[in-house]
This record gives sequence, C-alpha cells and structure tokens, in this order.
Amino acid sequence: MSIKIAVIEFPASNCDLDALHVLNNVLNIEASLVWHNHFKEKDYDGVVLPGGFAFGDYLRAGIIAAHSPAIDEARIMLKDGRPILGICNGFQILTEAQFLPGALLRNESLKFVCKWVNLKVENNKTAFTNRLNVADVIDIPIAHGEGRYFTDQLKELIDNDQIVFRYTDEKGFITNDSNPNGSMDNIAGVCNLEGNCLGLMPHPERASEAIISPKGSTHGKLIFDSMIDFIKRRSK
Amino acid sequence: MPKVDTDGDELEVNLTNNEIEQIKDELKRDPSITEWGMFDVMHSEHCSYKSSRPKLKLFEDAEKNYDYVLAGPGQDAGVIDIGDNYALAFRIESHNHPSAIEPYHGAATGIGGIIRDILCMGVRPIALLDPLRFGPLKDNPHSQWLFKYVVKGIADYGNCTGIPTIGGEVEFDKSFESNCLVNVACIGLGTIEDFKHAPSRANNPGDYIILMGGSTGRDGIHGVTFASRTLTEMSEADRPAVQIGDPFTKKLIIEATLEAIKTGYVRGLKDLGGGGLSCALSELTGDGGTGARVDMGKIFIREPGMNSFEVMLSESQERMAFIVQPEGLEEVLNVFRKYEMAHAVIGRTDDTQVLKVYDGDNLVVNLPATALSDAPTIPRKEKRPDYLDDLIAQKTPEQSKKLDDIIYELIASENICSKEWIYRQYDHEVGVRSVLKCGEGDSGVLRIIGTNKYISSSVGTNSKHCFLDPYNGSKGGMVEICGNVIANGARPKAMVNCCNFGNPEIPESFWYFAESVKGIADFCRELKIPIVGGNVSFYNEDEATKTAIKPAPVIMIVGIIEGEKNIVPLPFKDVGSDILLIGKTKAELGGSEYHSVIYHLEGGIPPLVNEKEIKLIWDFIFELYENNLVKSNHDINKGGFIIAIAEMCFKNNIGVNLDLNTIQEENLRDDELLFSESVGRFIVESSKSDYDKIMDLGRKYKISVKKIGITTKEPEIHINGLKTSNFTLNLKKMKRLYDSTIPNLMDK
Repeated sequence: MSIKIAVIEFPASNCDLDALHVLNNVLNIEASLVWHNHFKEKDYDGVVLPGGFAFGDYLRAGIIAAHSPAIDEARIMLKDGRPILGICNGFQILTEAQFLPGALLRNESLKFVCKWVNLKVENNKTAFTNRLNVADVIDIPIAHGEGRYFTDQLKELIDNDQIVFRYTDEKGFITNDSNPNGSMDNIAGVCNLEGNCLGLMPHPERASEAIISPKGSTHGKLIFDSMIDFIKRRSK
Repeated sequence: MPKVDTDGDELEVNLTNNEIEQIKDELKRDPSITEWGMFDVMHSEHCSYKSSRPKLKLFEDAEKNYDYVLAGPGQDAGVIDIGDNYALAFRIESHNHPSAIEPYHGAATGIGGIIRDILCMGVRPIALLDPLRFGPLKDNPHSQWLFKYVVKGIADYGNCTGIPTIGGEVEFDKSFESNCLVNVACIGLGTIEDFKHAPSRANNPGDYIILMGGSTGRDGIHGVTFASRTLTEMSEADRPAVQIGDPFTKKLIIEATLEAIKTGYVRGLKDLGGGGLSCALSELTGDGGTGARVDMGKIFIREPGMNSFEVMLSESQERMAFIVQPEGLEEVLNVFRKYEMAHAVIGRTDDTQVLKVYDGDNLVVNLPATALSDAPTIPRKEKRPDYLDDLIAQKTPEQSKKLDDIIYELIASENICSKEWIYRQYDHEVGVRSVLKCGEGDSGVLRIIGTNKYISSSVGTNSKHCFLDPYNGSKGGMVEICGNVIANGARPKAMVNCCNFGNPEIPESFWYFAESVKGIADFCRELKIPIVGGNVSFYNEDEATKTAIKPAPVIMIVGIIEGEKNIVPLPFKDVGSDILLIGKTKAELGGSEYHSVIYHLEGGIPPLVNEKEIKLIWDFIFELYENNLVKSNHDINKGGFIIAIAEMCFKNNIGVNLDLNTIQEENLRDDELLFSESVGRFIVESSKSDYDKIMDLGRKYKISVKKIGITTKEPEIHINGLKTSNFTLNLKKMKRLYDSTIPNLMDK
C-alpha cells in the first residue's frame, strides 16, 4: 500500500515544510502539504498538524485554527482511529479543539525558549511511540512561548496512561531544572484515550537527522516511524 | 526647518533651500503638497544617501569585478551565485531611531523590513542575524528596558514568520545609551531562476500594478525623515512615526509572494518600506524607464478621511507592490485570494515616464518618474577629532590586580559573557537547516537541503577600536567577521555593511564615516571580497547630551563550506591535543575590553591591520583544512586569546595546560600578552602527531604559528611561562561567571 499523510498548512504555520521534508525525504513517505481549507480526510491515512503560529496565535494560541474546517475533517479521523500528530502549535490546536485534554499556558519564564531537552517515554502503546521503550530518554528540541502544560484532570491522565512524554534530565530523572516551561508534572506530550492522537511541544521533525542534531541522535524520527508502522498495521 | 507653501497649506520640509529651488526649477512650477511630501521623503538622507553617496563610490563595482555577483549595491539586496543553480541573497540595514523610541515595535518592524528586502529578490528568507548595541546594562534600567524589548521584538516577529535567527552580536557601551543600534540582517535562498524572475522594476508599459498585504494607515508617516534627524527630547512626540508590525500578515505575504512569483506572471516586485508608496512607485517606474497612472481611490486604507499626502507617504508595514502581466492577472489574484490577503489593482504602467496619481478626478501627483530618485548629493566636511591624539597616547596603568582575578572579571563582563539569554528567545532551528546553532560556533552554519553545501554567516564590528582609529578599526571588523566564518571552515564569499554614525553635518562625525568606508574598501579590494550592498544610518547623536555614538561600521559576511566534513567546530574535541596560536600578538590594548573593564579607559594604541599578513594567515588556515589538520578552531576577539581558549574549553569540559614561554620574544607585559586584541589571530586545536607538518606550513607562509599548550582532562586552565607568576583558573567558576552575567541583570 502507499501511505498518504497530510501536513496541514494553516495561515502562519511555519514548521509545515520541515515536517514535510522529514516525511518525504527522510522517511520516503508520500506526504503532501494541504491548505487548511482544502483538506479532505478521506484522501489520507494520517495527519500532522505542524508547529508555527496559526493565525498569528491571535486571541489565544491555537484557538482560531481549532475552528478551521480542517479540524472537522480531522475529527472524523480521530473517531475512526487514524493517527493525528500535533507538534508544538499543533498540540495547542488539538487541546483547543478538545481532541486532547488540558491547555498550554504561557511559559513560566514569560519568555520564548528554544533549546534541546530530554524527554522520557512514559507510554509506548500509542500510535507514535511503538518504536520506543518506556523509560527511554530521547534528545529533542523545543521552541515555544506557550508550552506550560496544565490540566485539572491530572489523576485521570495518569490513571489512563495518557501522559506520553515528560521533561527529564539526561538520565531520565524528573527534576525542576529539566522542566523548561513550568509544565505540570513535567508533562511534554499527551495522547487521547485510544492513543491515536498525540500532542507534544517538542519538535520531532528537528530531531530526525543527525546533521542538525547536536549529539548526532535521530530520536525524533522514531516518532514518525512509529506513526507509519501504526498505519501499516492498521491497514492489514 | 524651511517651510514650503502650496494653495494655502504649509509644510515643514527637511530640504535645504537649494534643494527647494532646484525642485521648482526642474518642474517649472510649485509642487503640490503631496509632491512636496514625496520629495521630502525621497531626498531624505535615509532614502537618497545624499551625504554618503560620494564616499560609497569607493566601494568597487562588484557586479562587474566578480562573475558570481548577480546583484550588487543599490538593489534591495546583494545576490551571489553559489553554484548548483542556487542564488543567495542577503542584506543588512538599521532600524536604530524607531528602536530607541519604541524598542519592541522598532525592532520588530526592522525585522519586517529586512525580510521584505530579501523577498523582493524573489527568494525565500531563510535566516536572520541581529547585531545590537546598547548602553551598559548594569545599574541602568533604561538600557535594560531597551535591551529586553528589542530582543523580544526580534523574537516575536522572527519566530512567528518562521525564519530562524541564527546569529548576532551585541556590544554594550555608554555611547549607545540613548541611541541604541538595532541592525537587522537577512539571508534568502532560491534558484537562479527564482531570482531572475522578479526584478525590482517595471520594464513594460501596460502591466498592472497591484498592492497586496496590509492596509495603508496613518502609522509611520515620515518615518524616514525622522530617521534622518538626530534624536532630541522632542523625539517622544515622534512615536507615531514608528510603525506597528504584524508578523502574521508578514508570514502570509512571504508565502503569497513566493507562490505568486511561481506563476511566472510577476514581472516586477517592490516592498513598501521607507517612503511608502511614493518611494516604491517612483523606483519601479524610474528604474524601469516607464511611467504609471495610479488611482488613489483603489488603495485600501485603514481609516476614513486619509488625504493623498498621508496615503502616498504612509509607511504602514506589510505591503508589497507587484507588477503583473495582463494575461496573468487572474492567476496572481487567485494566489492572493487563497491566502486571504487584501489586494487591489491600483493602476497600470505606461510609456509616459511620468508618475501620475489621481484622487478622484484630481491629479495630485504628476512627476517625472526619475525626479524623485535623482536627489542631489551634498559634499560634507571631514575633520579628525582633536581629542584622538590624547586618547591614543593613554598608557596602560601598572597592573593593580592579580591576573586570575582580572580574567574572572573579564569573562563575566557584559561584552564578553555568554549571550545565551538572547538567543534562547530566538527560534534558531526552524527550517531544519541549522547545523551550527547559536553558541556552537563563531558563525551560524546552515545546510542547503538536497546538496552538500553549507552557508556560514556572521555579523559585527568593534566600535571601541573604530572610535580610536576608524580606518584600521573598520578593517579589523572585516578581519574579525571574516575570521568567524573562516574558523568554521568557510571562505568569505561576499559582504554587505551597515554604517552607523553620528551627524554627517558635523565634520568629526563625517570623518569617522569617511575613514571607515575607506578602510572597508581597501580591505575588500586587497582580500578580494565583493561588497554587494550596504546601508547608512547617520544622525545617531543625542542633541540633548551632544554625544555621538562610537562609530559602528557593522559587517555581514557570508561564506560557503563545500561538504559536511569541512565544517570546523569551535569546542576543543580531545584531551592531549596541541593548542596553537596563529598570528602575532602585539602591544595593542587600545580600545580593549581589558582597558575598559579593568581601568575604565577608552584609549591606547588600537590594533593595526596588515592585509598581506591577514591573507597569508587565511591561506595557511585553508591549507590546514585541506590537509585535515584542524580539530577545532576559534578566532580571537574581545578579551584576547585567553578568553578564546576558555570558550573552547567550556562545551566538552576540557582543560588546558599553557606554556607561554614560546610567545615571549615580543617582550610584552603579561597583561599585553594575555589581553591584547591584535586582529587576525586564531586558536587551533590539532593532533600532536601533525605538529611538524603544521610548523612547516607556517614557515611556508611566513606567519607566526606557536604551540602554546596542550588540552587536558582536568577542568582547569594552567598558565605557565609568564614574566610574573604562574596561576590556575577554575573552568567551572569561569563558566558560571560567563553564563550568569546577563540573567542576573535581566531576570532579577
């Protein structure tokens, strides 16, 4: 089968071409850039909501994009179990659209922060982490001003195993120093109950090629690889 | 300022009486009020370069002399052919005055403007770099306010548009306290065809003129006239002359413009920056040898009741003018519709060579298209300041503190310490091109996806050196910025500059400018570096305090690295490597950080530049690279070589054992040896086994190559072989001091 992935382009998405590059040129997957008003779910096996500043983050990050027709289409995919990956601004859109629980608030420092961090894998039974092991520590960069995860259902998230990634130190310890934005419980990424929708603040597309990775790792690629594996298994 | 009057309206203009008479003579009538406004803007220093043009002639014709230069000075950006069918566009300009009054929007719209300049060349903007200058931060809430909001303005704008900020430079000096300098640079990448598609002129009569992007409002009216005066206490009242940025719209403009160009129907392209529509229309038609008829009623305005004067001179941000072939009009408009960008066909080009603007039935502008761009030049007087001799004669005081304490103080000083506080706020990775990221090298290094080619770029200058000797100081700036790209493995390919100076009407200020231009021109000719563009910002002078800024001829260099294996890192790689000092250390402490931080001294003998020697050092370094003899490399800058070595130690926590006996033959004082800022030097890490080969090459090029130590496992810097005493520095303490200065000042 040939797998088709859509990377949705909202006005002022800006990591759209980066995600497209990794899917097309690193994973050799047929992915296309789709303008948000033109997106039709029936043509695709999975969707990526890329990072950026959709609609300028005006009003509140992600809120305007959450009302785009693209999200209505994506909701159909959500229901029938196709994978939906929201990266950074994509994560903000997914929480605003209530695909995912919680909200992303202004960083505790009140400043935008761009740096490489470590994440610990908390759940490898999702569509995006099946190539990883629980407790693996991965290198990946963040770049956001509003990434402080907050939820009033922390206990449910823990009980339902919906926390997928936490910010940790290099050894995998959850510490205050390794929390770059003040996220509750060091949460960096969460999924829906079914595990076919993941939102994370870090950028896997920036961690998929050794040449642009300070330590030469390609851990971000495993998230895309997992997504593709998941689609292949689903279609069997 | 003189006043002109037309039909009962009176207007203050920034024109000389001569200019006023000349304009009337040429038109054989009195201009309308709108026309006066247009002349005022287009003849401003900012648009017309009337003071600087005679000097800028020293910059050679790069397009003629270098076959890989596709666009040189006078265009929106310099463009070079970098092989594999790629064109690289780059430009630097200033946004000083607006930022000094309103740092957040001033800096943000500076970024907006430079992005448009690159976009005008038909290529995608892929990187930003920002050289900044402020007053010292310590105990200075005003400087902290400017610094904080300039950085935030750049971050918010650049981050939203998805263009990574990959480098920059910052200097803190009292002279920039009320005149901070905000220079912005941008790099664009496209194919040669992309570039050839969209010239900044309207060559064909009968094409449509489309205005696309933001609406035209009352903000920014007379921004350029404002930038061509000194800052006075009245400047607070000039706040309406600062534009408001909208990075969201800018991002859409970038995508819509690039997509419109791909249709093949765009025949000309111009951004609306300084001078707004009047500048864009007169340049498009004037340079293309055409004329145009424009219907002002079609221009979408932000508020009702704007008159022709306001519409033609508005500098509202986020606007582009397109010249489109009639048969492709619908296709281009469909692109704008997709992005939901406001747009209007505002007129057509014709063959009259006259720019006509109608407000209803009233002809409000009726000017020969070239009249506006033919501003006369003004010869300015030059005079070397009398105070310089005394300054240069200043001696380094007897060393009063212990050397280790001095080094700890230097590494924590504002000009030397880590700038991580700044670049953490910039998205420096978007675009997945950043190979050497902020803080990882002397320059920013980007890959060109799909090739094995890498772009290296750096910006900056040394204003303290330029203050004492603008001729050598400017050359020194060239050496330093070229050194940054060379240290990472790139040959400098081309340069653009941004000259920030005081009031050109003051002979001493103009002398600084003239000497700097001469220094840059001489250096570039000798080292064969094409100058492909520039920007001049005068009037960086505070009338209330009568102080001019230290001269800041800021340089931007781009270089190309062929092949991933040829990218050279900055940090020491291995334990047990040789540490080599390339280039001679001379008693040149004038304008050094050592003088300024330890003794609050501005004077002394600043570094001289010998181009012949610099060329030999560069050739030597590249021969080392070709033979794979370099493990890491760092060019020596502020604070001297001891600071450079510490910076190389930090990342991998590698220490060094130095024996400086080998460089004692010059008979320098210990502080001169350690802290001199002699230009053109590098610290190279190499393998012990390659020592003889490297020394042979050093002799071949007749340059100074000295082994000054080895790298060690212990995280310490041991310094032996000084005239006074040996001592040891603790790396952890140095790193803590290096990292904490700016956060301690800004995040309290």
